[in-house]
Amino acid sequence: MRIKQFSITGTTLILLSVLVLLVSGPAHSKEPLDDAADFDKLMEAVAYGDKLWHTGEGVGGKHKKLSTNGLGCANCHPDAAATQPQSWPKYQTNLGKVGTMRDMFNWCIQVVQQGQGYALDSKEMIAMEAYATYMNRGAPLNPGMNAQTSPFVISGEGYPTNNEGNR
Amino acid sequence: MEDKESKIIIPDKKIIFSDKEKISRRDFLGLSAKGAAATMIAGVFAPSVGSMIGLGSVAEAATKKVKPFTFAVLTDGHLYDIKDHRFDAMFMDAVDMVNKMNPRPDMVIYAGDIGQSGLKAELVKGKRMLDKLKMPYKVIPGEHDWYLDMGKAWRSLFGDENWSIDHNGAHIIGMNSIKISDFWTGPGLTNEERMGRVLELECNSCGPWGVEEDGLDWLEKDVKKVSPDTPVIFFSHSPLWDYYPRWNFATKDAPEIRDILRKFDNVMAVHGHVHQVVFNKIGNISSVGTSSTSWPWPYPPVDLPYPHIRHNRLDPGDFKDGMGAHHINIAKDGSGTMMYDPFNPNTIPEAVKRGVKL
Repeated sequence: MRIKQFSITGTTLILLSVLVLLVSGPAHSKEPLDDAADFDKLMEAVAYGDKLWHTGEGVGGKHKKLSTNGLGCANCHPDAAATQPQSWPKYQTNLGKVGTMRDMFNWCIQVVQQGQGYALDSKEMIAMEAYATYMNRGAPLNPGMNAQTSPFVISGEGYPTNNEGNR
Repeated sequence: MEDKESKIIIPDKKIIFSDKEKISRRDFLGLSAKGAAATMIAGVFAPSVGSMIGLGSVAEAATKKVKPFTFAVLTDGHLYDIKDHRFDAMFMDAVDMVNKMNPRPDMVIYAGDIGQSGLKAELVKGKRMLDKLKMPYKVIPGEHDWYLDMGKAWRSLFGDENWSIDHNGAHIIGMNSIKISDFWTGPGLTNEERMGRVLELECNSCGPWGVEEDGLDWLEKDVKKVSPDTPVIFFSHSPLWDYYPRWNFATKDAPEIRDILRKFDNVMAVHGHVHQVVFNKIGNISSVGTSSTSWPWPYPPVDLPYPHIRHNRLDPGDFKDGMGAHHINIAKDGSGTMMYDPFNPNTIPEAVKRGVKL
């Protein structure tokens, strides 16, 4: 009986410890918590994704990983419209499997844009995912959705204008 | 008759209105809020739906002088200067489709964006294919054709950017609606950088497009002596209504254009740029969008005024989904019916297949 009680108490303590760790963040983190700085880092990825998204339009052959036929992501998906980050993972006929949005990015790059594609964990792939997700911010999660949708940005706003004046 | 009416001039807009038009314009502007909503639901629909509200006067007024005819519409090929690009084949497929139409269209109007990057080689490639049409054609520019050299190559190949022709009792107008105020001189952009900005659909720094003051002046003079019962078919690259300005699915001086065309019983405005099936009706102007031969665009995050007039969900794996040609039949009563001719017929709803009344 005592052994059983000890076992329950010990398990509870371990679970509590894990919970505390989860709430307080990684114990080994050397950076103080700074929400604004974290968001800035996200927006750096969004900006890089935005740049990649619009690379390839009209410059075929110069960015072989993205496009060799002049088409960029934004040709068909302005403001990351119809990328539907809220719906992934899902079964996609073009992929022939339940895949992720990153899989679909590579499908578009390789099939539509005739580029080489990116490793799924590459900086570029994460940046494009960040951009598409940011542009569809606020969309409710809807796994498996296959409906025709519009971008989920607020009309007339979208991505804030940067110093280069482009969006 | 028209010339004898008293005129007023609005200095800001340089638009002249007759008394008749002045009243119409006041009434028209009065529509803006709740009237606009009424306008949006009162319009045209496919024949099967049977709604012809607002068109009765057209049928009565328009006239025995119209000889029925058909013309075709092609648009938005976005050709690249790359050999054997798949857009070349789709452009040519659309040309072949028009050549095989029966009855044969009297003419073809190309509604802009022959090229993608404004290169002369792209426009030359497009012209070479358009020259294979078995009937005359006219072209208006799109922004992709224009902003590398400010229309120099386009003009050398296709002539005037604003034009009109009279055909079988109808007045057909084509206008350059993609003029943007100078956003490039200040920041010192190169021609290539300017074009690079413009070819992004979301280019807010480029500003809104329009026909601008000289275009309005041209239009006013062009229609001055055209009688109000003449059916008018108006081509612009961008729509004559504020569909989704963020993507330049709009023309900044569309209200002034609509004012100038207000005197006509029926105006059928056909536009490119949106790469999709879409429709609206404001007052006497029906406005219909067209499919490209390059890629389709998703619908923007706004409610469609006529939600049944759209294309179905498209398959990104089928490069022809959502694309194709079009033809418009002009009837004896001066009305028109827009027929979408998609490469894949199952991409448009049955009601749209039966035609969109203009």
